[in-house]
Amino acid sequence: MAGVKTATASSYTEVFANKAGTVYQSDREGCWYIDFDGKLVRFDHRGLLKLKNSICRVDIEELLLNSDRSPEIEMVFICACNHCYFLNLLQIISLKQLLEGTFVMLELNQIIRDRLHRLPF
Amino acid sequence: MKDIMRVKCLLSADIETLLNQQIKKEAHSSAMYLAMASWCNQNGFDYSSDYFFKQSDEERFHQLKLFKYVLDMGGSAISPDVSGIRQEYSSLREVFEEALEAEIAITQSFKVIAANCLKEQDFVTFEFLNWFMKEQREEEYKARRALELFEVIGEEGTGLWEIDKHVNKIKYDSETAGE
Repeated sequence: MAGVKTATASSYTEVFANKAGTVYQSDREGCWYIDFDGKLVRFDHRGLLKLKNSICRVDIEELLLNSDRSPEIEMVFICACNHCYFLNLLQIISLKQLLEGTFVMLELNQIIRDRLHRLPF
Repeated sequence: MKDIMRVKCLLSADIETLLNQQIKKEAHSSAMYLAMASWCNQNGFDYSSDYFFKQSDEERFHQLKLFKYVLDMGGSAISPDVSGIRQEYSSLREVFEEALEAEIAITQSFKVIAANCLKEQDFVTFEFLNWFMKEQREEEYKARRALELFEVIGEEGTGLWEIDKHVNKIKYDSETAGE
């Protein structure tokens, strides 16, 4: 993503990042790019919501407590998306943090736009 | 940075989830009323059967109204799985008792959605829900009146036959009723 980001820096905005990855928004394309664990995937707004819901549905506590599960890999498949994730427990936690942070920033962006542009009084 | 989420969809994720849950409840109600219509028909209660056929259609209409609203607002409307429909009842009274309970549950559910809309200041959806609030007044009234027939007429002798005949005549004609 670094190359893409450098090449068209004005088109991509970093929404949120943690140690495991970064989420970029493309205003021009109206979508987001998730750079996670060496994999770059494009999501439209529905896909991003579905990914967040899928990750939030993973019962991390159950994965931690259940010693029968081997290996501790979850497959996260998003309908109508050409990609899927195979994640271990730590990756699930990291991706969940990344997405939660992203949605907080998107909500903050909405509040700022409301205050600055949509509620001009 | 553009606000793409808001541009694409008016609904928040939470409200969209609640509306999809309501779509499922309406689908369940429609299927439940259809099962009631079947039971009434099999047991000779023709007017009650007609009443529940109409109720089933109404619930289906409610489901579609919610479904189209979610789509119109840019959300993802989910066609629900419906299962666990009760097919057998021990009496006509029990059928109407369950119908009233179901309507009360639906009203309570709409109240929860409306409360969440107010919390989020989603006045657009709140206004949309007003139609359902009015509708629930009618639905609960009709279900309650039907059950009261069992007390007013009584089940002895030809009582059940009289009750069945009267069920289809229940009308809620308040000018404030839903259309």
